[in-house]
Amino acid sequence: MAAGAQRSLLENRLVIVTGKGGTGKTTVSAALALAGARAGLRVLVAEMGPDEQIPRLLDPRAPRAGYAGCAILPGLRAMRIEPFEALAEYLGLQLGVRAIVDAVVRNRAFRQLMTAAPGWRELITLGKIWHLAQLDSEDPPGRRFDLIVVDAPATGHGVAFLDVPRVVVSAVRAGPLRAHAQRVERMLEDSDQTLVLPVALAEELPAREIAELTDRVRNEIGISIDRVIVNAVVGPPFPDAIRDLDEALARLDGDLELGALPPPRVLARCAHHLRSRHELNRRFTAEIQHTTGLPIVELPRLPEGIQGPDQISSLASALLAKPVFLK
Amino acid sequence: MKPDAKLDAMLADREVIVCVGCGGAGKTTVAAALALEAARRGRKALVLTIDPARRLADALGVESLGNRPQAIPRETLDALGVPRRGNLSAMMLDMKRTFDDLVERFAESEEVRDRVFENSIYQHVSNALAGSVEYSAMEKVFELHESGAFDLIVVDTPPAQHALDFLEAPQRLLEFLDSRLVKMLIHPAFAAGRFGFRLFHRGTQWVLQVLERITGIGFLEDLSEFLIAFDAMADGFRDRAHRVRSLLLGPESTFVLVSGPGGESARRASDFLDRLESYGVSLAGVLVNRIRLWPSEGFPPGGDAQPAADIEALRDALRASEGTDYPAQLAAEAAVKAATRYAEWVRADARSAQPLRERIEAQGRFWGRVPEFERDVHDLSGLGRVADRIAGKEEP
Repeated sequence: MAAGAQRSLLENRLVIVTGKGGTGKTTVSAALALAGARAGLRVLVAEMGPDEQIPRLLDPRAPRAGYAGCAILPGLRAMRIEPFEALAEYLGLQLGVRAIVDAVVRNRAFRQLMTAAPGWRELITLGKIWHLAQLDSEDPPGRRFDLIVVDAPATGHGVAFLDVPRVVVSAVRAGPLRAHAQRVERMLEDSDQTLVLPVALAEELPAREIAELTDRVRNEIGISIDRVIVNAVVGPPFPDAIRDLDEALARLDGDLELGALPPPRVLARCAHHLRSRHELNRRFTAEIQHTTGLPIVELPRLPEGIQGPDQISSLASALLAKPVFLK
Repeated sequence: MKPDAKLDAMLADREVIVCVGCGGAGKTTVAAALALEAARRGRKALVLTIDPARRLADALGVESLGNRPQAIPRETLDALGVPRRGNLSAMMLDMKRTFDDLVERFAESEEVRDRVFENSIYQHVSNALAGSVEYSAMEKVFELHESGAFDLIVVDTPPAQHALDFLEAPQRLLEFLDSRLVKMLIHPAFAAGRFGFRLFHRGTQWVLQVLERITGIGFLEDLSEFLIAFDAMADGFRDRAHRVRSLLLGPESTFVLVSGPGGESARRASDFLDRLESYGVSLAGVLVNRIRLWPSEGFPPGGDAQPAADIEALRDALRASEGTDYPAQLAAEAAVKAATRYAEWVRADARSAQPLRERIEAQGRFWGRVPEFERDVHDLSGLGRVADRIAGKEEP
């Protein structure tokens, strides 16, 4: 789908949330899953990191979801895709005999080989996602999941992971591995169903990285991308009529006694900090929009930080806002 | 030893400081600031970075990829308060080149070297070969440490899926090369496409059969060819990997965990700490980067409404200073609101960091904080400010 002609995020079947570490990718994944469940969709949210984060963001009492996954809320399942477990499942489907599969996966030499071997983790993980996307449900009839949200790994270039099927297709001459990689590649490139959702911060380094990321997704990997989520944006700190408030405060006697209030010097510093962060965010949001050519959805920096369900819930609504080109 | 003294001791005696932490925490900035602070204390310091912000790279003079340390000019060091006996260099790692250099070094002949370079698996995966980024970074540290050109090397580690990939990578690579399966794959008959499975030990033969069924035989042949070439270098590689590991876990090295502010960062840092502890590395302390701190005077306003009389006092002061046309009431209320909002950030950051802080302080390690600045750090003077805060100097 062309940039600019956005459908709702919830109209995709597979949304792959990407971004460098620290941008709030996991928070956005949790918020999108929640937004989908609230809209009545059957949602699965899958994460890949070594430490499971999403269930406890959605419900502090949630159990560990693990590879088997668990229901967090009505209509919302979470899981963590662990490559060795996905491999065991895949081998089971290929070989049919469970006893052989267990013996292979437990074999020390095999584990050593697989621990060092490159690429298969990404491929098997994407293969698992492909498999989940094909699952049917009998009651109600149709697909088992309407929306699958993937919290992509933050390692290196966040999208290298999505490039693996293409690399495998070009490196492997024939056989089931190649066929498997081609199936996954077709799923990723299906712009009617699959979307990459990049998450950025409006700061210098993340702004540059998001430009590189969108460029690679579009030109090398060929997956649909239609907006950028700019996270933790500091809104205008003062009304327009007094936008220089920090300067006015700095002109006062810094030590003036103000009762319970901090002295003007401290008030001026707080005001200056807010204003500077706001202006910095505004500048780099504009830059992200310019370099990527994509419309923006801004999520606010929450004063209390991301603690749990309350914050995820407020971000879930903000996330569905129509992406816009800011002036 | 007091925690602050721990930081001082680290900067004075250690030869390698490894900065670890999750992506986005600001490891690069902290690593560069630690190296600068050591240089200010008279040491010959090097910061080895993986992927710095462009402007920081410009400022450090490492824009050009030479895969070699570059000295920061003397006049710049003078301006930053680095004494004559100290100096600072920076280097940006070219990972692919470091790995190629390794192949060059350990290949016993040009023929072996060329076979590795030309192998399609090496070309496709030398970037992705498990842990090769991590391994080549640590390899570089070892080489630079051996050269004796620096008193201290501060390393900025690549963001890793698993906390200690860079420590585990050499070991994994070795176990891999030593495994029976690989020994089978490097049997010449296999590479030649004559699958002499029955020649091999029965115990693992079926594993190969399974692999073949999943991957197709072409892939295994290429892999086999790659491994044969690589195996010829294994002894040199093995010896080297052991020495890299001893350096990083030895008394001359220590680790610093860098965390971002906020609950998610603190939780991830805490998970990271579990792994570091289980690994038995020497952790000097934690630096929380970009945390919001309250200025050293006055009390942060709480959530309650402020007394109207105090707001009026501020309004009157603003009116006296800015003139009667100034919307002083609006401004006074906005100033209080801004301070309350900032105070909320400060409290949220402190609350999020508290469990990690208690754990670190109970262990007697240092707990350092670098505040969020009004602008992002992207030049040497910004780095100087970060170094000041790490060293415990107050904002002027």
